[in-house]
Amino acid sequence: MNSAGYQLFMSAMFKGQKGERPPTGTPTSIACHDLMDATGVSFPDAHLNASAMAELALGGHEIIGFDTVMPEFSVDQEVAALGADVDWGDRNMMPDTKSFLYEDFSDIAIPDNFMEEPSMRVLLDALTILRRHVGGSAAVIGKAMGPWTLSYHMAGTQNFLLQIGLGETDKVRKMVEQLMPVTIASVNAQFQAGADVVVVADHATGNLISPIHYAELLLPYHKELTRQIDGPTILHVCGNCTDRLHHFCEAGFNAYHFEWQVDAREAVEIVADKMVLIGNVNNPQVLLQGTPEDVYNQARYAIDAGVEIIGPECAIPLKTPLENLKAIVAAVQEGY
Amino acid sequence: MSQHINKIQQAIVVGHHKEIEALVQSALDDEIAPELIVNAAMIPGMDAVGQKFSTGEIFVPEMLASAVTMNKGLDLLKPILQQGNSETKGTIIVCTVKGDLHDIGKNLVVMMLEGAGFEVIDMGVDINVENLIDKVKEIKPDVLGLSALLTTTLPEMAKVIESLKAHRVRDQVKVMIGGAPVDEAFSEKIGADAYGKDAAEAVQIARQLIAG
Repeated sequence: MNSAGYQLFMSAMFKGQKGERPPTGTPTSIACHDLMDATGVSFPDAHLNASAMAELALGGHEIIGFDTVMPEFSVDQEVAALGADVDWGDRNMMPDTKSFLYEDFSDIAIPDNFMEEPSMRVLLDALTILRRHVGGSAAVIGKAMGPWTLSYHMAGTQNFLLQIGLGETDKVRKMVEQLMPVTIASVNAQFQAGADVVVVADHATGNLISPIHYAELLLPYHKELTRQIDGPTILHVCGNCTDRLHHFCEAGFNAYHFEWQVDAREAVEIVADKMVLIGNVNNPQVLLQGTPEDVYNQARYAIDAGVEIIGPECAIPLKTPLENLKAIVAAVQEGY
Repeated sequence: MSQHINKIQQAIVVGHHKEIEALVQSALDDEIAPELIVNAAMIPGMDAVGQKFSTGEIFVPEMLASAVTMNKGLDLLKPILQQGNSETKGTIIVCTVKGDLHDIGKNLVVMMLEGAGFEVIDMGVDINVENLIDKVKEIKPDVLGLSALLTTTLPEMAKVIESLKAHRVRDQVKVMIGGAPVDEAFSEKIGADAYGKDAAEAVQIARQLIAG
């Protein structure tokens, strides 16, 4: 098989033919100061301007050597389009939602044209630009927030989680259900704009909620979501999710992007042939504070464990050194 | 008496927020001392909640419900307690450091510390070093608790400790740190007094630090 990164990645996404090496994949942000300096693009421009967004994402492929490009560096593009007040931060600070529009769990009004709001238009245009630049050589990954994460932004995370603790699960289900069309529309629009694959980030995170609550309150919606989505998808959920991996396998996503806290060997054993695994080089201790050798060793551990696509575990810290990111690429270059 | 204590403790552990006020009132009606309700029912109840969280038996929603339950009960007791001169177990300032807006972990720590009988000053999120130093000088807390979720804001913790030294107040306050990217090695590296992996451990550490 042709060893271009695009083919290696897409084949791995479907557990297809293996090439001479594992592909790398970056479903979450790889924006860091070194990459900003190398591309000449910084925050907040990379959140607000399609060309800047695409340029920074492109750096991941052209400068670091990753097989994918993913241009959404925040978790706020959809909520901004829904009317939330978002502080887009600066070079040193990630964006954040400043207000929660539905703290009272009242009915959510989704604007008919929210996909045309600036924050979504920027993302869609960036995907189209990337498709034109690297289509066929690197896989273009889009990113959408799942209904659970959107609920955190609409109600406030603590407020949303408290309702579960208080037994107000009808409120929780209603909000998730109301936000489903946002995720579905966002994902499908990103495919139409040029994404090969879209990651759905939905933070039913280990420690935050129990696997039982995932199964009861979110899994049914994930099943419905994947039924209504047109193309291949990756689920991203942070934290130690070993206890709920078997549930993720039922949700209908093609792949799961996971953290170092989930042991790669255990994950491969649990997931088996039901999903593709992407990950899981540790961010705080290894990519940020470790050496290229530490990164290389973790990437090789994941490859040896049978993880199909290798990359950072989550959005990388802004001060991550470029050499450490390049060590992931070096590890896959050695093949299986 | 023990029946009242057990019922209150159990209501906190399982987060029965709708029942707690009636249970506390019933205990007061039977002339159980409010100090005893706090020390024998509420604090052990929240300790049990912390333990269950640490072992993965419960998660954040259940812990939040327990904290809401405890606070509802405590609201009934506070006016009575304030008439006497009930002593706190120590004063603790808690905040999320500059550049970091995440507050759930910090809030859980605040709730658990309050549940354990400490007086807690919650400064909120995104707190700059200067404001923090001013507050330490003003309040003279026993412990300063720093939280961060983002790896980008970890260096702020080191800055706070350096600034405490520069203002010559480092030896007057114990510093404990926590948050997802923090670990024991980082705590030692920046010269903090202790690292807590979760809210329950924060309570244990605060007790140890204050006990000296």
